Amino acid sequence: MDWFRELGRRLLMLVRRGQFDTDLDEEMRLHRELREEEQIAGGLSAKEAHYAAHRRFGNDLLLREESRDMWGWNWLENLLQDIRYGLRQLRRIPGFTTVAVLTLALGIGANTAIFTLVDAVMLKSLPVANPSQLYRLGDNNNRGIEVGTQKGGSFVLYSYPLYENLRDHTPEFRQLAAFKSNLSDLSVRRRGDSAAAEPYKGEYVSGNYFTMFGIRAFAGRLLAPPDDSSGAPRVAVMAYHTWQQHFGLDPSLIGSSFNINGIPFTIAGVTPPGFYGDTLRSDPPDFWLPLAASPDRWMFRAEFNWLYLIGRLRSDVAPERVQARLTVELQQWLNTHPEVIPEHDRGDIPKQHVHLTNAPRGVELMQTDYATGLRLLVTLSGLVLLIACANIANLLLARTAADRPQTALRLALGAPRERLIWQKLTESILLALAGGAAGLYVAYAGSRTILLLAFRGAHYIPISPRPSLPVLGFAVLLSLITGVVFGVAPAWIGSRSDPGDALRGATRSTTDRSSMVQKPPAILQVAFSIVLLIGAGLVTQSLSNLESQHFGFVTEGRLIVDINPSLAGYTADKLPALYQRLEDALPRIPGVLSASLSWYSPLGGNNANTRVYIEGKPPDYRDVAPSWDRVGPHYFETIGTRLLRGRLIDERDTPASQRVAVINETFARTFFPSEDPIGQHFGIGDVGHSGDFEIVGIVEDAKYQDTRGPAYATFFLPLLQTPPGGSLAGWVGAIELYVAGKPESLEPSVRKTLAGIDPNLTILSVQSFAEQVSENFNQERLIARLTELFGLLALILACVGLYGVTSYSVARRTNEIGIRMALGADRRSVLGLVLRGALAQVVAGLAIGIPLALVGGRLLSSELYSVKPYNAVNLSLAVLILAASALVAGLIPARRATKVDPMVALRHE
Amino acid sequence: MHQDEIPPGTLYLLILKALARHGELHGYEIANWIEHVSDEVLQVEEGSLYPALQRMLIRGWVKAKWGVTAGNRRARYYRLTPLGRKQLEVEVSQFERVVAAITRAIQTA
Repeated sequence: MDWFRELGRRLLMLVRRGQFDTDLDEEMRLHRELREEEQIAGGLSAKEAHYAAHRRFGNDLLLREESRDMWGWNWLENLLQDIRYGLRQLRRIPGFTTVAVLTLALGIGANTAIFTLVDAVMLKSLPVANPSQLYRLGDNNNRGIEVGTQKGGSFVLYSYPLYENLRDHTPEFRQLAAFKSNLSDLSVRRRGDSAAAEPYKGEYVSGNYFTMFGIRAFAGRLLAPPDDSSGAPRVAVMAYHTWQQHFGLDPSLIGSSFNINGIPFTIAGVTPPGFYGDTLRSDPPDFWLPLAASPDRWMFRAEFNWLYLIGRLRSDVAPERVQARLTVELQQWLNTHPEVIPEHDRGDIPKQHVHLTNAPRGVELMQTDYATGLRLLVTLSGLVLLIACANIANLLLARTAADRPQTALRLALGAPRERLIWQKLTESILLALAGGAAGLYVAYAGSRTILLLAFRGAHYIPISPRPSLPVLGFAVLLSLITGVVFGVAPAWIGSRSDPGDALRGATRSTTDRSSMVQKPPAILQVAFSIVLLIGAGLVTQSLSNLESQHFGFVTEGRLIVDINPSLAGYTADKLPALYQRLEDALPRIPGVLSASLSWYSPLGGNNANTRVYIEGKPPDYRDVAPSWDRVGPHYFETIGTRLLRGRLIDERDTPASQRVAVINETFARTFFPSEDPIGQHFGIGDVGHSGDFEIVGIVEDAKYQDTRGPAYATFFLPLLQTPPGGSLAGWVGAIELYVAGKPESLEPSVRKTLAGIDPNLTILSVQSFAEQVSENFNQERLIARLTELFGLLALILACVGLYGVTSYSVARRTNEIGIRMALGADRRSVLGLVLRGALAQVVAGLAIGIPLALVGGRLLSSELYSVKPYNAVNLSLAVLILAASALVAGLIPARRATKVDPMVALRHE
Repeated sequence: MHQDEIPPGTLYLLILKALARHGELHGYEIANWIEHVSDEVLQVEEGSLYPALQRMLIRGWVKAKWGVTAGNRRARYYRLTPLGRKQLEVEVSQFERVVAAITRAIQTA
């Protein structure tokens, strides 16, 4: 306890520092006065007594300092003094301070903004209890419905009966929950509201989903296992952000009744704020519904795998043992359920396994999608910060040189070198902290922009742009490191100045040491800038290639409307009539040139694929199953896909007529390498159906799923023709409109027309085809825009740096220039002299930067779309931009040099 | 008159002893007492009392309080704390051990 009391006394002293000094002063003065009086009484003269008393007392100043040192606070005193001094210095030169703080704010802000994204996406766990105990069954993000074996033998999607089996036979899980791998579109209307139903996102989850995550309701209650049985009253849970944004936190909503997809549900409660479910994504679920409430009853059969599984593991079990056990359970189950794996794949059952992955972040969808992009952005923003640091170091070095006479004077007067170094360091750390504070503002604004760019088209993003505690810590740490990094060299160099040198007034010089040390930062800036500029050129070119590629359809003048008739209660028998009414009414909307319906539209995030059986050929199970879509008449004309041979799907293709199919080029090449596909037959389901569809036409390849790779082999079936025995009824999901003029401007009349056909038909979204395609490039666009921004930033910083170095050297060499001009040098040669110095640095920077950029380009090449990393045009353009900017930055001070008046210059000192 | 500097480390001991004898003293009185009791053989560089007193304040051996001298002047008076009293015993026995050892060393010669 003694040290604790001692600390208390020390702290007390710190608080009463002023009192302490006066007390000590008074005490010592009294001592000397009493001694003096004693001496006088002993017979000494007043003067002698005074000196004697002082002699006996010792060095008053030293003793006082020693007394104060005893308390151990002098480091703090020194620091405070340095800070006060530093602040005074910075205030003295507002121009320098502003430029430095702004430069740092941009550098630190850019990094903090990127770190906000990294923190939110890559580091933060789900906002649930003990997220580290969560484990997911599966290691990839395959979604939808899988039948048979799964990719690489790793089970990711599970059927409902398989889930029940694993849940009930794996006691190592405290809870094992299941949820549908895709969110579902919901059509929601509060009962009693007169307004039309609105589209929302819903997720079907098992009854123990919230118990497994260990979260409590914000209001009301969450789902419980009894809610997830077919006979239970229908209840749903609402997300807090939905409650807030759409229902104004109305408390009467809990326990009230909602129509969801036409079925009455009671809202049991609201999830806590910040909870976004099992997957970080834009537009997370607005509602959670029990699996038992899922309308697709057929999906609960053992052969359909559509559920993701996440469980909370007991703390006393080893995940590897559980993983082995799950694999055994899976294989046993597959062996005892012959309907799950088709005959020809049963040999693969021993290869099927469960990979148990630790899932503190839930399903890592964005983490996987954004990993490469974020790494790139971290590197780029790091480069920007380095450039900013170099810039500040440069500015500080110039100042150090300017301060040399003063520093020399202080050294001559006996100031310790390390104290001078500390003082300079304090100054740069102060600058960095100020820059960091300003950088937090930049980061906040930057994060918002980045989120909007990254999630273009999203209604709600579960990531806050506000800096979190780790982000704040990151910014402060980054500022401190930055301060030390750019402060050390100038501080050290400053303290090296020779007292004698400066006192002699040796400031006349042609070249001096400080400009030698100033050049490396400027050269590095040029080098990093050219790397960023070349990189920006590559990714921009890549994005532009992606966006302007030949997709196999035309985006201009097209509007896509997503609907889901099943949500409005349509059943298969009522669909033909609905299609008829849509096909009649839509083309009559003024401005619509043609209209069509389809199951799904290209690059809208949907895909369906199924194995095909070609008539007259043995089934080949190794082939990739081709994609397929169902389309109405005029579909290909409306989206602008060209017919190559045969005919398109049209009004002739009714339920009663011959079943037909249109295939794309890749389908033709894959399945009919040597014969004419037109007139051939194929089918789906099994070999017995191979005569179902007659191929009547071939269309050009179009990209429906992947924008980078080649188009998938695809076949198209008429909307009205159902495959025999096919259970996946062909719901229409998208309306395509080819319009004259701006597509978005037609939205009101389209909505009106659809409401006229059926007011209950919920419109999920209306957007131009171009926008739909564009959202596929959100990540590429984010990277391209940020790289351009960083490139621009780097260019500006490098130019400021060059300008600084050049104008500083002009100022230093005023004498020399004056002498040269007096001796007959003309303005041109002076201009050349100064510019040559600046350009030499640019050339040196390019010599370092271009090889670096080429290496970087090679590392980047997997991210680039039809852009070669060694791209002469891009490279020359970047060099040209940099050289031109550098020329301007050098020209301003160079012109100033030519205006030097020889007479003034010679007198200048 | 010949004056010796006090051996290093014994300043604390002397201050503690002075306060133990007289209860409350200010700095000047402590310096005088040390000189006086040592028959003016021991003399401190008077100022060095003050850093030592600071150290003792930190350690909690002494307490300080402002008071008034006989000549009616403001002075800071130091007083032993219970901790200081214990420290005096420690310092005394330590000093005696050292002296005994040195004495033995000298005599065996």
